[in-house]
Amino acid sequence: MKWSSFKYLTKQGLHSMVQNRLMTLASVGVLTACLIITGVAVLLSVNVNSFVDYLSDQNEFEVYLNDGYEQASIDAFVQNVSALENVAETEYISKSQAVEEMQAWMGEDGDLLSSYAGEDNAANPLPASVRVRVEDLTALSQTVESVKALGGDMIYEVQSPTELSSVLVGMKRAVTYVGWGLVAVLGVVSVVVISNTIRLTVFARRKEINIMKFVGATNAFIRLPFFVEGMTVGAISGIVSTLVVGGVYYGLLQWLDQPSASWLGEFTRCMHPMGEVIWPMLGGFVLFGVFIGGVGCATSIRKHLKV
Amino acid sequence: MIRFEGVKKVYPGNGKTPDILALNDVNLHIRKGEFVFVLGHSGAGKSTFLKLILREEEATEGRVIVNGRDLSTIKQRDIPYLRRGLGVVFQDFRLIPTMTAYENVAFAMRVTNIPERQIKRRVPYVLNLVGLTGKARSYPSELSGGEQQRVALARALVHSPPIIIADEPTGNIDPELSVEIMELLQAINSVGTTVVVVTHERALARHFNKRTIMIDHGEVVNDARPKRKRGVDE
Repeated sequence: MKWSSFKYLTKQGLHSMVQNRLMTLASVGVLTACLIITGVAVLLSVNVNSFVDYLSDQNEFEVYLNDGYEQASIDAFVQNVSALENVAETEYISKSQAVEEMQAWMGEDGDLLSSYAGEDNAANPLPASVRVRVEDLTALSQTVESVKALGGDMIYEVQSPTELSSVLVGMKRAVTYVGWGLVAVLGVVSVVVISNTIRLTVFARRKEINIMKFVGATNAFIRLPFFVEGMTVGAISGIVSTLVVGGVYYGLLQWLDQPSASWLGEFTRCMHPMGEVIWPMLGGFVLFGVFIGGVGCATSIRKHLKV
Repeated sequence: MIRFEGVKKVYPGNGKTPDILALNDVNLHIRKGEFVFVLGHSGAGKSTFLKLILREEEATEGRVIVNGRDLSTIKQRDIPYLRRGLGVVFQDFRLIPTMTAYENVAFAMRVTNIPERQIKRRVPYVLNLVGLTGKARSYPSELSGGEQQRVALARALVHSPPIIIADEPTGNIDPELSVEIMELLQAINSVGTTVVVVTHERALARHFNKRTIMIDHGEVVNDARPKRKRGVDE
């Protein structure tokens, strides 16, 4: 195909969008609605996932030690725990540090514990402990067992949030499956709805296609303006849906930033910032729209070309 | 130019309805530069005759040869090139409603990748030929039936095809305009273009005194050459 023909057909595609503005509007509307719903599902899934990841990162358990062990054997134990595969970080809390932490936690009433403060205070009833943070929440139980095996009699008690860990793991799995499942279903629904809309557009212009065939137009010649039209409708829908979803997301971030929404503080902190979201969303929406619009047009027109 | 050799066309039934024999053992030859009327009642097989020439349908038996191409062996991708050698005028005009008269005519040239420069020269010339100079920017909906038919004729002519086929060209227009359109076709024929007019109007064929092929129940029942006028040809 000559460059002049390509230019003419591209212009023709854009011209016919204006000529058939009602159908164009309907196609843009349907495609935009589908992209908005899909976009909201993606954003929800991504942000909930990020929050669950944040909660998982906070996850740690505490190993309380019996009194009367040499500092050297405690240090060796801490070193061995640090070397375990799933352990991200360890922190030794001595008996005196335990009192200080408790005092800080009690605030003004912390003074009540002042008689137990100080190094080697025999009256201090609080045990020394090792705080262990794990990398993979799903392997928490195994890590706890390994630590117990390493410590033996040295360990007084292990306090681990195994129940919370299983809840978080389940939640993450559910969010991932449900979120992406929803996106997949919406994606399929979008494709079906959009290709039907495009089919209607093409059907409305089947006579035009028929005439083109009778004056000797090749299939490529007939297809190109429809292809341009479909891709442009896709691109416009991509931009419009980005503006809508991006605008709502921005508004939500602004609202969550207000003091009245401070109870959602942790969740707000985990939300992806606007700058991180908007460009991938624009790219994804426009690419998806252009792909669906172009392919939808090209396939819908095929039936009418068999003349 | 156009040759039918033992052509049979059967439209298969769908189980509930029987097969329809549209054309049976049709043999004819339309030569270069001829003006031919193909006459018949509705349902006689005229439309099928036309569809076979345009390769909209394929013959069940026999061979159809148009512009030297055997349509029983032509490849799907070559059909557009076959059609570019034919100028077709339909009863219902078949103009693209979203294009102006100029664009409708130019479109037939654009599909053949003719340079824009040539299109700009040729289209106004052809529109002038059919008497539509002032209507170039009008859309089909703004034109009368006769004007639309003239645009369709201009579109059929614009790329100078060796054959013009007109399917009931006067079917949707006034009798006065019918004569005008037929005279235009005659003028086109006088410069060597083969013209085939498919119609059910006997009077029209009689008035113009041209070769008339009569189709009835799918068969050619008469193929009459024009009578020579006394004092002109004798």
